[in-house]
Amino acid sequence: MDFLAGLAEGFIGLFNAGGATFMGLVTGIIPTLVVLITFVNSIIMIVGEEKVERFAKKMTGNFFTRYTVFPFLAVFFLTNPMAYTFGKFLEEKYKPAFYDAAVSFVHPITGLFPHANAGELFVWLGISQGITQLGLGISELAVRYLIVGLIVILIRGIVTERITIMMMSRREAE
Amino acid sequence: MAYNAIRLEKGKAGWGGPLVIKPDEKRNVVLSVTGGGIDPVSQRIAELSGARVVDGFATTVADEEVFVAVVDCGGTARCGVYPKKGVYTVNLTPVGQSGPLAQYIKEDIYVSGVKVENVTLADEGATVSQAAKATEDAPKAAASAAAGNQKKSGLIVRLGKSVGGVVNKFFSAGKQTVQMVINNILPFMAFVSMLIGIISESGIGNIIAQAIAPISGSLIGLLIVCIVCALPFLSPILGPGAVIAQVVGVFLGVEIGKGNIPPQYALPALFAINPQVGCDFVPVGLSLGEATPETVEIGVPAVLFSRLITGPISVVIAFLFSFGLF
Repeated sequence: MDFLAGLAEGFIGLFNAGGATFMGLVTGIIPTLVVLITFVNSIIMIVGEEKVERFAKKMTGNFFTRYTVFPFLAVFFLTNPMAYTFGKFLEEKYKPAFYDAAVSFVHPITGLFPHANAGELFVWLGISQGITQLGLGISELAVRYLIVGLIVILIRGIVTERITIMMMSRREAE
Repeated sequence: MAYNAIRLEKGKAGWGGPLVIKPDEKRNVVLSVTGGGIDPVSQRIAELSGARVVDGFATTVADEEVFVAVVDCGGTARCGVYPKKGVYTVNLTPVGQSGPLAQYIKEDIYVSGVKVENVTLADEGATVSQAAKATEDAPKAAASAAAGNQKKSGLIVRLGKSVGGVVNKFFSAGKQTVQMVINNILPFMAFVSMLIGIISESGIGNIIAQAIAPISGSLIGLLIVCIVCALPFLSPILGPGAVIAQVVGVFLGVEIGKGNIPPQYALPALFAINPQVGCDFVPVGLSLGEATPETVEIGVPAVLFSRLITGPISVVIAFLFSFGLF
């Protein structure tokens, strides 16, 4: 009997611990998240997609802004997955590189702007929760995540662009 | 070529459907966008209906030619992209209306959790649904026409209208946000909480910690994790919905919280667990950007190989940037 009771207690204990975690996530994260996402969503609606498109187009001319500012605007304003539609402003040879840059940015951006990819927050939240648990602040980590993210998408854009152009010219030669 | 009407039913725990659809001269391609070649369900749909099947990762076809798209989306992006375009969508994963494009996922265009046995020939005389394409353009055109007809009104009226417009935007932004929280964030939180509860209370956590802490607590270890995740034959499988990256992120977070992994490894870890981001989504992402089929054919391997190079670089950069943090 004691054994069974112990077993039952252990079993329900798993879910009590899970419930406590859930409560922590809901009360700790969701309130700020809801207000922040609402704010950013309103800004996006007020600014309007056309204005963003017009501005973004200007950023496609050189490789630096093409793989930093341009994907940033795409992911910030259109969010995952509609951000990739900005590829339409680019020549064919740049499209894979732009996609690579934009998609690689959908997680680094969530540290500061969770609206951009609210369905996949836990890449960031999972790790940042650990930092919070240690009693450390996460804002600096979020800022650095964003900065490193921008550097990485620039490199990815350049590398993928090179590979794409190489493969395209090889195909033409065939 | 003779085409047959087929019936697609949802599988166990699936959602949507049943769809009774038939290919025609124009729409006769089964687009298999599942990451690992052509899956059996696409094959079966093609055999029964008489349509031809195309591997969406190797090549792409114009949306107008797609009879049905077969995806294996965990609930973020792909499951909504095709319904948004008005393409019938079969999801092999049992996912309902979820993701940022959840509003486009409807029973009459989408069916999920589909297994081979759920694909059958339609009964004689069953009504075939019309292609849902081109329904969304009409109201838009009407709206812009209406806007053009508006006469100039007085200052007060205009002021009132613009204030009303802004308030409306705030309100619908709030609505959108709450929808997002309910559809995406809360379900994942529930899943994560269950995982953490079981792992931390049952003692499995300690075993996992012993295995991953030494790997994730050093630069070399993180680089190995990163290279494995970036392998071109693994990355498209690890990608969907970023579920793997998210679960591993939660694991590492728990270990960081317990002190098994030093906090300064948080930043490089964020990149090490995620070199596969979007690798499952390359053809879809490129077709959203209106890329030609030739570009998609080249783009998929280009992105996958690029990750092998840029993945480890990202970990090193993040490692350098974590100096002075914590």
